Amino acid sequence: MTTRERARLSLGIQAGLFVVAVAVLAVVMDWQAIATSFFDVERIGPMFPDILVVGLKNTLAYTAVGFLLGLLGGLVLALMKLSSFPVYRWLATGYIEFFRGIPAILVFLALGFGVSIAFGWNLDSLQIAGVSLGLVGAAYIAETLRAGLQAVPKGQIEAARALGMPAWRAMVTIQIPQAVRIVLPPLTNEAILLTKDSSLIFVVGLTAGAAELTKFGRDGINIYQAGLTPLVAAGVCYLLITVPLSILARRMERRTSTKK
Amino acid sequence: MAESTPAPDAAVVGEQAPAGVVISELHKAYGRNEVLKGISMTVDPGEVVCLVGASGSGKSTLLRCVNRLEEPDAGTITVADHVASDPDVDLDAMRREIGMVFQQFNLFPHLSVLENCTITPRRVLKQSKADADAEAMAQLQRVGLEELADRRPDQLSGGQQQRVAIARALTMRPRLMLFDEPTSALDPETVGDVLAIMRQLAEAGMTMIVVTHEMTFAREVADRVVFMDQGHVVEAGPAAQVIGNPQQPRTQDFLRRVLDPTHVDLDD
Repeated sequence: MTTRERARLSLGIQAGLFVVAVAVLAVVMDWQAIATSFFDVERIGPMFPDILVVGLKNTLAYTAVGFLLGLLGGLVLALMKLSSFPVYRWLATGYIEFFRGIPAILVFLALGFGVSIAFGWNLDSLQIAGVSLGLVGAAYIAETLRAGLQAVPKGQIEAARALGMPAWRAMVTIQIPQAVRIVLPPLTNEAILLTKDSSLIFVVGLTAGAAELTKFGRDGINIYQAGLTPLVAAGVCYLLITVPLSILARRMERRTSTKK
Repeated sequence: MAESTPAPDAAVVGEQAPAGVVISELHKAYGRNEVLKGISMTVDPGEVVCLVGASGSGKSTLLRCVNRLEEPDAGTITVADHVASDPDVDLDAMRREIGMVFQQFNLFPHLSVLENCTITPRRVLKQSKADADAEAMAQLQRVGLEELADRRPDQLSGGQQQRVAIARALTMRPRLMLFDEPTSALDPETVGDVLAIMRQLAEAGMTMIVVTHEMTFAREVADRVVFMDQGHVVEAGPAAQVIGNPQQPRTQDFLRRVLDPTHVDLDD
């Protein structure tokens, strides 16, 4: 048998196994049970439009506030990490290690319950979710931004300084715009991660108006008697946010890589 | 804006009088590696000086000390009326009078050719867009690239990029130009265009310090050639003399290796 014949045979066997596996699944699986447990679309009709206008909206709001705070905090931390003053670097490193190293749900619990117990502040769910995601996101975003700033060639800053630009001006007009192009794809990935982490707000309990997608899904299980179909609906709504984001990230990645 | 002592052909260079440079007892080390071991030299206003020598001889470091991209350890540098080596000197004001051209061009890739030339005049000198654009187009015309004003740097050849880099430096109306191996990263067929513009600039009366391996350029354009080796100025004098009739053995040896066509240099 030649190598090519052997390769063709192996491919044939794999295809055959796949067909058999699908056939067995089709026969063995209880499709009726799957349909009623996960895809009982008719019964969850009343979830709409609230799951979109309230749930999707709140998920987007929590994520957007968290991402913006994370971006802001991340930028400060990145500049601290690049500082020539060692105390700044240590502080930034400590922060990043801490918030990257603990589960995000602990931060939600700390803000949702700890802060009100300790200081008597009553934070609303947008504040809890936004600040929690911001605190955690900043740690990840800081590393992304630092890498992006460092990826701008040194000669760029030298050229700007040699023309007579002050250091801050060279950073604002030359270094940061170039770094932004480099970090846009990884930043989009951070946004996707934060979108999913926004579901953690469920641990503090949410009012009807503040419910986001996961809350809608969980509550729907009790309300509609449609098995887990409400969770599937919530999942689809997450994908409505995250899939366009990753397509966007891939596009930008392609654009920046062809530029080089 | 007319200066009291206009340069020869001042209208071509700009209204600024060319500046001179005085370097005295300059020392610079990276850790224990001493790169400059007490360099003293003078460049008169309007003079063209070529720094030549093997790589590692300290010529690029010397050039980068003039506009303080490198911090000298000891010694003094004066550029026009700025004491460049003074820690309290207004670096940005001084650098605006010193144009610099790099081996790797260092054009800003996120800006068009025109924007590369206008960003500093607009953001730092606060020129209006119309004024900055007009000046930039005039300088791009001088280097023969006004038609590429809307392109991005990555759409240009290396030689074109370097010519834009020269135009960009000239839009700041410098009184002194530093060239750090401006043709070393270029394809051989584009070297001539860049050297032609540098020659034109020299003839217009610009003060120029040029680190280069182009001996023909040095011989024909430079007023003086300074040969450096291991952090010392070994030999300095009129170009024809240093290149045509070198006195020091180290200069002779270097020139033999650079000029001897049967010798294959590692860089080639």
